[in-house]
Amino acid sequence: MNSQLPILLFLVPFVTAVAMPILCARRRSWCRPLTTGAVSVMVVLAIMNLRVVVSDGPIEYALGGWTAPIGIAWLDDPLAAIMALTMSAVSLLTLIYGRVAVTSKHDRSIQYHTLILLFVAALIGIVFAADLFNVFVFLEVAALTGYALVGAGGGKALVYAFRYLLLGSFGATLYLLGVSYLYAATGTLNMTDLATRMPELITSTAVVGGLIFVFLGLSIKMALIPLHGWLPGAYANAPNAIAPLLASTVTKVALVAWVRIEYSLIEPGIEVSHIPVLVLLEDIGVLAAVIGGALALVQTDIKRIFAYGGIGHIGLILVGVSLGNSTALAGGLFYLINDAVMQAMLFMIAGAVLHYHGATTLDDLKGISVRSPWITGALVVVAVSMVGLPPTGGFFGKWNIVLGALEAQHYLAVFAVLASTLLTLGYFLRLFSCWFHQPVTIQSERLEIAVSLRLSLGIAAVAMFALGIMSDSIVRVLLESLANGGV
Amino acid sequence: MAELLSALFQRPNFVVFVILFLWGIYIMAAHPNYVKKLIGLYIVQTSVIFFLVAFSAKNGATVPIVSGDMAMLDASAFANPLPHVLTVTAIVVQVATLGVSLALVAALYRQYGSLDEDEVVQRVE
Repeated sequence: MNSQLPILLFLVPFVTAVAMPILCARRRSWCRPLTTGAVSVMVVLAIMNLRVVVSDGPIEYALGGWTAPIGIAWLDDPLAAIMALTMSAVSLLTLIYGRVAVTSKHDRSIQYHTLILLFVAALIGIVFAADLFNVFVFLEVAALTGYALVGAGGGKALVYAFRYLLLGSFGATLYLLGVSYLYAATGTLNMTDLATRMPELITSTAVVGGLIFVFLGLSIKMALIPLHGWLPGAYANAPNAIAPLLASTVTKVALVAWVRIEYSLIEPGIEVSHIPVLVLLEDIGVLAAVIGGALALVQTDIKRIFAYGGIGHIGLILVGVSLGNSTALAGGLFYLINDAVMQAMLFMIAGAVLHYHGATTLDDLKGISVRSPWITGALVVVAVSMVGLPPTGGFFGKWNIVLGALEAQHYLAVFAVLASTLLTLGYFLRLFSCWFHQPVTIQSERLEIAVSLRLSLGIAAVAMFALGIMSDSIVRVLLESLANGGV
Repeated sequence: MAELLSALFQRPNFVVFVILFLWGIYIMAAHPNYVKKLIGLYIVQTSVIFFLVAFSAKNGATVPIVSGDMAMLDASAFANPLPHVLTVTAIVVQVATLGVSLALVAALYRQYGSLDEDEVVQRVE
């Protein structure tokens, strides 16, 4: 049983998704309980998997019994186990939240829930895949369901869903091109196998070109500046229940895929035609962190502020994972987990504000604090974590990145973390100045907020503090895994 | 220069790949019509598949079905099946992408009565 946990994690949502149209054909009301049940089972399985991996060490899962390099391998190491837990927990959170937010003229709940389950299954696949081509396939499954989910609401969202589709598919094609370059040069797709053949080939133009195409493709998927064009429009117009799910998973999971590739194929300190590769990646991250934060500062649409904030954080995580020492890598990965929860929470708040108050821009927000104490409380918690104050998880992620940057003596990275923190503070102050503004007309009666919304916001807020308190043990697990040679 | 030219002419497959790839990107970026953008995307995807097939082609190689001892085989006598498997999977992904994108375009057309991106964006903003 224990050795089958990775595939069970994938099969539970996948089989449920396939069976959904049959099981729920006559009883539409079963869709939501079935989906929530399947994702809850995933969370339980992911917790069991994490316990097994932490106590017994990484598992290499051979699909169909064919071991690597002939078969397709899945690697179930602490990073994958932690990410699988993060992804399934965040999905469960957004599903609980989604109860209130789904409104549609036609009943499309079967299609909608099938897409969500396929999306979640693909996320698990990306997290576990130890094979470059397998990553491509799962990236595409996640992306295709993502396009459909963004466009599910119709209206303006269709335009942005189509733009997302064009750029996303182009990114995937670049990734595939990079993979075929790497395959042509090395003759293997398995990451462990590639890593052993890489040192003598890293200077070959085919390998360098392949890695560049892979990085470009994944940067479109992770919305790294300047390839972030699809993200703000898609997330600002996606249905309220979908935006938190996509915002907290799509970009992060692409970044996780890149971390695996980067960590196993690019050795720290390696130079290609006198350009230190990791320093270059770190500088790209610095630019993304600063520009993302600055762009968030000038937006007036609430969802766009949060979207650009997320883009800035992707840059910050890239800085962390590219510093070339394990402190910063563990810090970056820990920050990634926090960022998933924070993004989910931000878009849940933005969705709730839109649903209950019809507010989309900063000006619409005036006086909300009086009427919605629950949403206000959640916003304060997430702001504390986004800015990075202890005891929330955001602080410890940034702290470890800064420690790693000081260890590597890269002061530009320290500057990026501080600048990103200040910019985050800046846009939250802008938000708060409208949020706590006295209302023009005094409406003192409080709005009744649905229980599921309170529940999801409450769990997310508790998770922010829980991540802060458990940061020590999570970072230690990551560091131990790094010391043993894995990610 | 002569070296570069001769290197290019010895690899016509790769030249075709580069031309198709860039052409597709141009169509995607330059044409305002949604369906034409899709055609551009399709050409880019197909060019990468063409590249996969082109570099895995072998002269005089046969079907890679072997029974008996694997160690004694001459690898150059058999085609490498892996790139072809990748190709088939990539084609499946491509078809799925095309399906989703056509559905989106149809929904867009029903909503806005136009396939021209400039016109639709104008009405959205």
